[in-house]
Amino acid sequence: MIAPVLYLIRKEFLQIFRDHAMRGIIFVVPLIQLMIFSYAVTTDLKDIRIAILDNDKTIASRNLISALVESDYFKLVSTAPNPKHLRHNLLTSDADVTLWIPLGFSEDLATGNGAQVALNVDGSNSSIALRALGYTEAVVRLQAMKSLESFIQASITIPSNQTPSTNWDLQDEDQIATSPRIVPQIMNPRLIEPVMRFFYNPTLESRYYMIPGILVLLITLISAFLTGMAVVKEKELGTLEQLMVSPLTPAQLIAGKTIPFVVLAYFELAVATTFAILWFKLPLVGSIPLLALCALVYLLVTLGVGLLVSTISNTQQQAMFTVWFFLIFGILMSGFFFPIENMPEIIQKITVINPLRYFIEIIRGIFLRGATFDDVLPNLLPMLVIGLVIFSAAIMRFRKRTK
Amino acid sequence: MKRILAIARKEFLHILRDPRSLAVSILMPLMMVLLYGFAIDMDLKNIRVGVLDFNRSAESRSFINEMVSSGFIVESARLSNRKEIEPGFRQNKYRAVIIFPADFSLSLVKDPVTQIQIILDGADGTSAATVANYLNAVTSRINLSYAKEDFGLDILPIETRTRVLFNPELRSAHFIVPGLAALIMMMICALLTSIAIAREKETGTMEQILTTPVVAPQVIIGKIFPYMVIAALDATLIFLVGKFVFGVPMNGSWFALAGYSLIFILIALSLGLLISSVAKTQQVALIAALMITLLPTLLLSGFIFPIASMPAVLQYVSRVIPATYYLEIIRGIILKGVNWYPRMGGILTGMSLFLIILAIKRFKTRLD
Repeated sequence: MIAPVLYLIRKEFLQIFRDHAMRGIIFVVPLIQLMIFSYAVTTDLKDIRIAILDNDKTIASRNLISALVESDYFKLVSTAPNPKHLRHNLLTSDADVTLWIPLGFSEDLATGNGAQVALNVDGSNSSIALRALGYTEAVVRLQAMKSLESFIQASITIPSNQTPSTNWDLQDEDQIATSPRIVPQIMNPRLIEPVMRFFYNPTLESRYYMIPGILVLLITLISAFLTGMAVVKEKELGTLEQLMVSPLTPAQLIAGKTIPFVVLAYFELAVATTFAILWFKLPLVGSIPLLALCALVYLLVTLGVGLLVSTISNTQQQAMFTVWFFLIFGILMSGFFFPIENMPEIIQKITVINPLRYFIEIIRGIFLRGATFDDVLPNLLPMLVIGLVIFSAAIMRFRKRTK
Repeated sequence: MKRILAIARKEFLHILRDPRSLAVSILMPLMMVLLYGFAIDMDLKNIRVGVLDFNRSAESRSFINEMVSSGFIVESARLSNRKEIEPGFRQNKYRAVIIFPADFSLSLVKDPVTQIQIILDGADGTSAATVANYLNAVTSRINLSYAKEDFGLDILPIETRTRVLFNPELRSAHFIVPGLAALIMMMICALLTSIAIAREKETGTMEQILTTPVVAPQVIIGKIFPYMVIAALDATLIFLVGKFVFGVPMNGSWFALAGYSLIFILIALSLGLLISSVAKTQQVALIAALMITLLPTLLLSGFIFPIASMPAVLQYVSRVIPATYYLEIIRGIILKGVNWYPRMGGILTGMSLFLIILAIKRFKTRLD
């Protein structure tokens, strides 16, 4: 029962490793991809190119400019001589954002008349535009809040000669509790300050979020494509008939055709994970056995897809195209690049049948948040169901053909 | 010329004989544009925020109302103690938790500054930064309305008058459609042609071609031609869907768009043929074509991830990727109405010539 399967596995491995291009595809290419893409997939926006026109030329306007330039997000590319030039900067893609501080800015700021600045953004690349907009507005808002606070401070110091203002700044909570002071209501500004704390990834490195997704892509490519093509190749070359007339049962045949790719995919995952941890310092908070278990369920899906496609394809090109067709949809609708919750509801419902969605969610949870078995279960179960359905469909089609 | 046409005709027959591959190469681009035009939205909406309110006062409630009424944030969970925060993050129930201390409303009237705590899931760093930004903006709005009530201040000291040029509503379809066009054309073209020569080698028909009087340039050009027709059809479909279904504006000239697109298609086809003449089997050719086109075009061309944020080395790599230039050009034509790109157009033309010549050269060496 087992021995013939082992022979088949051996044959499959020999066939894979004989082709030196295949060796490269399996062992070298994924690592290079991991390396390059992990560096590429940073969505942190750095060096937003900003062009500034300062007609005001006062301390206040210079403060605003330096607040922008000194944040890590911006790179001052030009100081334009006139507003027309600012527009030209956007048109020629020399700048992503332009800011115009008109004459009278500091005066309006001082009198509380509401100073205005004009912010223009190049919307042709909206992934940059949205965030550039957010960052610029955040910096300006911060400056605005600062001057609002000083404005409020200025207005409360006027009546403050009526009350002892000595311990105003020094007070701490104990004092408040023990000595309630009588302060006119109007004198106390109601000011809320949010204190932000980031869990799991305090430096907000977007790479940590992306690398687990890349790992999923790598093992998907390897397992689904190679299985699909391994069977079709035998069909194309006519050697599948030889296997059919051999005493192998269909179950043995399927086991022999899939186990090598399970081994390869695991190997790939192990190497890539080790590499990501050592090189990119990707944290692995959760448990490795849980990761391995979830990966096994996921491989059930990808190998099932590979097998199923091979039963409905006659040429390697067809197999490749069909797998590719599903893969592209799977990747783009998995939440890897684009959060699923942003999609229209109807498409969110379609993603329920996308196994990649669940696995990416699981792997991110295990790596970054230390998700436990209970935490991943809501994602693991649907993935298991999808895997079982696809795999049994593949086996049924495979059986029918062998008869 | 006659020989080129004969090769082209033969290749056309090959394509027509495999209707499924043909269907994939025409229907798939169409489906992708339709689906992603609707599905992809870079802007965060429906941000799920959990609330842990120890205060339960009118003030904390009005904060929550203000937060939710912005339309970007939904209250997805109501927590009762701090122990529940972490498991919620692990089960991905919310992206942030906002905590009102028990003395929130008291502190508001008593202390110069009242603190609330916001805990964010930093795992998705970029989104976390955006969420933090939104919550800061909500707080600013509330502070401002307090300032208005308390001090009669009516306006924010600095008001930004923001204008988004070229895509005023920041519709993501306007930005996704050109990107998809580049991605789809690159993949379809390279995948289709990558097996065009490898298949002949594998099935043994290569010898037959070699015994005929055709020479390498004729084979290559003859094989490029039919796929060029398919790719041009794909491109036309994508841009038409973009215009009529998603309302992507066309500010430049269709003529310029077609011209630059043809150069780009030529690059992708020659790349596929080059791979095909190097690879021994279809399998290797297909996988190589996929790896060279799919992920680099998706990740390194500036389609999704800004090139300026990449490390210097990768910024150089992105300059070798044709889609980087093509994307910038077509976004410029379609959205900005700038039609003339001498430098980038020159680079693309150079790339296409280089790849065609290389494909022909590689093909020749296999003749002997």
